[in-house]
Amino acid sequence: MASLSLRDICKVYPGNVTAVSNFNLEIEDNEFIIFVGPSGCGKSTTLRMIAGLEEITSGELYIGTRLVNDVPPKDRDIAMVFQNYALYPHMTVFDNMAFGLKLRKTPKDEIKRRVEEAAKILDIEHFLDRKPKALSGGQRQRVALGRAIVREPQVFLLDEPLSNLDAKLRAQMRTEISKLHNRLGTTFIYVTHDQTEAMTMATRIVVMKDGVIQQIDTPTRLYNLPANVFVAGFIGSPQMNFIKARMEETDNKELYVEFGTERKSYKIMLPPSKTKQRGITDFVGKEVILGIRPEHISDDPEVVEKATNGVVECDVEVTEMMGVETYLYLTFLGNSITARVAPTSQTREGDKIKVALNVEKMHIFDKETEKAIVH
Amino acid sequence: MSNRLFQGVMHQMRDAIDRIVGVVDTTSTVIACSELSRIGASVSIMSVEAMDAQEAYVKDGYTYMAFGLEGNIEYAVFVEGVDAAAGKYARLLSVSLTSIKQYYDEKYDRNNFVKNVVLDNILPGDIYVKARELHFNNDVERVALLIRILSSNDVSAYDVIQNLFPDKQKDFVFSINESDIVLIKEIRSGIDTKDLEKLARSIVDTLSSEFYTRAVVGIGTAVTGVRDIARSFKEAQLALEVGKVFDTEKSIVSYDNLGIARLIYQLPTTLCETFLKEVFRRGSIDSLDQETLFTIQRFFENNLNVSETSRKLFVHRNTLVYRLEKIKKLTGLDLREFDHAIVFKIALMVKRYLSANPAKL
Repeated sequence: MASLSLRDICKVYPGNVTAVSNFNLEIEDNEFIIFVGPSGCGKSTTLRMIAGLEEITSGELYIGTRLVNDVPPKDRDIAMVFQNYALYPHMTVFDNMAFGLKLRKTPKDEIKRRVEEAAKILDIEHFLDRKPKALSGGQRQRVALGRAIVREPQVFLLDEPLSNLDAKLRAQMRTEISKLHNRLGTTFIYVTHDQTEAMTMATRIVVMKDGVIQQIDTPTRLYNLPANVFVAGFIGSPQMNFIKARMEETDNKELYVEFGTERKSYKIMLPPSKTKQRGITDFVGKEVILGIRPEHISDDPEVVEKATNGVVECDVEVTEMMGVETYLYLTFLGNSITARVAPTSQTREGDKIKVALNVEKMHIFDKETEKAIVH
Repeated sequence: MSNRLFQGVMHQMRDAIDRIVGVVDTTSTVIACSELSRIGASVSIMSVEAMDAQEAYVKDGYTYMAFGLEGNIEYAVFVEGVDAAAGKYARLLSVSLTSIKQYYDEKYDRNNFVKNVVLDNILPGDIYVKARELHFNNDVERVALLIRILSSNDVSAYDVIQNLFPDKQKDFVFSINESDIVLIKEIRSGIDTKDLEKLARSIVDTLSSEFYTRAVVGIGTAVTGVRDIARSFKEAQLALEVGKVFDTEKSIVSYDNLGIARLIYQLPTTLCETFLKEVFRRGSIDSLDQETLFTIQRFFENNLNVSETSRKLFVHRNTLVYRLEKIKKLTGLDLREFDHAIVFKIALMVKRYLSANPAKL
């Protein structure tokens, strides 16, 4: 087990290509940290810097209390699992897991102990005599994990290890990896572009974009309190709806947001829970972005009828029945939004309906900086 | 082929050693024996690979001695009896068979043949003769991958790659110098570059995840015929060299995908220098500081969009406009205009190419 400390880490490639800027993160013992973000956001580069496979341009990296910037990868006490793992086709599972140790001249009985222990953890004891071609995708993935486990490292680094698996197997392996983390009690750092993987496995998530950390938080806080428009849009599926609006105040100093066109517009009064938040009045008269998650939009006639605030009339473009829920793709005054409603919803394509936005759940972002103003 | 070779030796040894002698392979099957009826039979012994090459192993009245090339134990010789003489015979035979196999492999080894083709160590006219002699399939598609090891450690990358591609009939792995390993891989016809890049990625990922070894891979184009393997190799070599100059952050460079760098890399340096003088006649590119160059890079990455770039750089839009004006003043190029932007982009690449001073292949 080990804690990690990344202090002002930067990676600049020749030709001034900046991959990672001022990356600061403290990782505790036994944490399951996930770096998430779109392709090219610098998450893999950061992981490779931790591994020692990329040089750190500036900043300091500590594993435990040891500064490891100049420590070669093999001496960092880490193990890696990458997306494109390759098993040795002519070797048995046992030999595949033992190969690295053999090349490092580990004693035979020690190799046997470690491989058998890892196989037990991964529940592949029965396959030790099989060759890779006789294994399923999930079993092969476990062997790849086994090769990392036998090294008994302080930190596991996993770079999109499930990307090559089909959706069903991926869901299954997600649980397996979470269980593995609990069983090993070791620090895990995991890279993915899949927000579902991040939300389901991580103790904390680091959201990255263009080499810059956008937010570090627990999955729940990240979902409920996104720091900016990017995080709000990246986490959650279907993604959060964004509506360009303007913040104004009434003669009674009550705050509201207004959106729409010159001919028709909607006003939504902000509830006290929002208006009490510090600094919100600084945005009066300014352009803002209104964010609302699909599940906070209701087409239930009872809810719409009771709502005194936040009711919008929409055209229904498409409906998608997902089984446990239905997605409604709606348009109003040039805006497109998605609502996630009950599967019993009677709304059909082409309908003109009223929906109620749950104003308590609304997020407001600064249009210029895209940072969150209130949640 | 080895079986016949070993059988020849066993046949000759029959009279010299008045005992049953033979060879078993990794499947514990007798592949050569002084008693012909035993060939093909299985023996119940520990796996040959698990035997110690330095110590004799005794089982059921026979003494076994493992042997193989380059530390890879592939066979074990056996001699009837468990006495000291049997041990001595077994040891002698293992030394002798190892040497014979090595000599045979060197002479008839396909791997060596491919290596000679790739490195132009064989006369063009001899290639086809030798290929026929070795029953080398001339009709399949192959591709050359050049794997350059950037950070070595105590683990042999060659061993790792050889074990990843163990089929010696189809795939050929050899080292050409301290850091470069060549893989000539048989591929299915019409394979996509993406699949080849995935293959290369699996090599890089295995080396780095398992052995903490950093590597870059150059990929040539798919070729049919023995002679063209050398061309594919040279393309892989060129891809790596071009990548070293223009795509420093990439670990896999495909010859098929070099883009504009392919053109610049072919330009004579004098022409490049003339071009740079022409473009930057109003102000040297060297007068642009790191921050300005970084700004330009980001501006290009964001498709010359001022608002988007300023947001990414966390600077006010006007600050970016000011920087772009400064660049215009220094160089005469307004990067907001497409024509100027493309000239600047190429000039930066040319500058990078000259700075790298690459050894032309």
